[in-house]
Amino acid sequence: MKEIIENLKNGIIKSNPVLILLLGLCPTLAVSTSIDNAFGMTAAVLFVLISSNIIVSLIRNYTPQRVRIPVFIVIIATLVTIVDLTMQAFLPSLSKSLGIFIPLIVVNCIILGRAEAFASKNKVPNAIMDALGMGIGFGIAITIISFFRQILGTGNLNVFGNEIFQAPGLSENPMPIFILPMGAFLVISILLATLRYSGVIKSG
Amino acid sequence: MKKSNLKQEIIPVIFLTFIVCVSVIFLYATNSVTEEYIENTKNEAVKAMLSEQFTDMDDYSYDEKLDYYTVFLNNEIVGYAFVAVASGYGGPIELFVALESNFLQDEEIIIHGISVVSHSETPGLGEKIIEASFSDQFNGININDVALSKDGGKIDAISGATISSSAVVETVFKTVKEKADIIRENFNLNNEGEF
Repeated sequence: MKEIIENLKNGIIKSNPVLILLLGLCPTLAVSTSIDNAFGMTAAVLFVLISSNIIVSLIRNYTPQRVRIPVFIVIIATLVTIVDLTMQAFLPSLSKSLGIFIPLIVVNCIILGRAEAFASKNKVPNAIMDALGMGIGFGIAITIISFFRQILGTGNLNVFGNEIFQAPGLSENPMPIFILPMGAFLVISILLATLRYSGVIKSG
Repeated sequence: MKKSNLKQEIIPVIFLTFIVCVSVIFLYATNSVTEEYIENTKNEAVKAMLSEQFTDMDDYSYDEKLDYYTVFLNNEIVGYAFVAVASGYGGPIELFVALESNFLQDEEIIIHGISVVSHSETPGLGEKIIEASFSDQFNGININDVALSKDGGKIDAISGATISSSAVVETVFKTVKEKADIIRENFNLNNEGEF
């Protein structure tokens, strides 16, 4: 039991995929323009990560070593396509704003990395907890980044069409640079530097 | 010894083939469930765009071969619409262009209006092509006036976004001329049989 909770905590704090391992930065930087996108991306990644970890863990004793990477890729690609089609069918506007980054989850290194490094060597319950931890860790990081980018870049905080907060002064004169790709680099580097300086996360 | 070697070669192949087969089954199932919904969303999006331009339309038809929409009101043609793609500053700009139906008779081509379907222009600058202040300039304009005002036309460019503005203007000018000829030709062809 303790081991399982440890697996969960590992992904959220100790080896947070975005903030510590610096994995999956491509979708993190690209879709973190609004909180809605961040939630949509997190949901997609969480689903693919949990399902792929379960499947990879289930077949771990039968998978021949030599073809394990192609097998993982096929499994992940199938899951991603299912997510992509389902989103296009039922959440067309979200699917439109996430665009190419849903199909690109296939090559997201968090997912292949966890399949190879964890799920293929551990039992199903541990693999599920690991996926959950990693997925939540990814979600927390991308949500924090998109929170700052949305507020600084547009001056408003809109979540699913509800206006939550309007920054005084910023909403009249927003800084669109934070919505641009460059703003993503600024926000993530300042965030990482602050977390390391304050000792919340430790390098190495 | 040789036999076990063969086994080692074959098993991975069989395993991978098996995984791919299972994956195909799942994808086929997902596709057959979602296909209808995806088609519906696409049709609804088209209908929304058409009724945004032609507020009183009651029906439309789509010519798949020539890729344009015919808009009807009480079984009479009130206009045409089509999708054009301009190459903007940050990537392709998809435009929905609506035409008045009068060009079938006279030479003058009048644009009913345009709207931006999708784009990836710079926020705060080129993004303003989606704002009414820019796109409303196309409402009811003669095709010969579709040019930026600095080139003698009647469209004012967005300040700071000349590339986005001229991409839209040039694409509208070019595609409307092409499409109008195609539609007119097709219309005449269809009506020859009737008279």
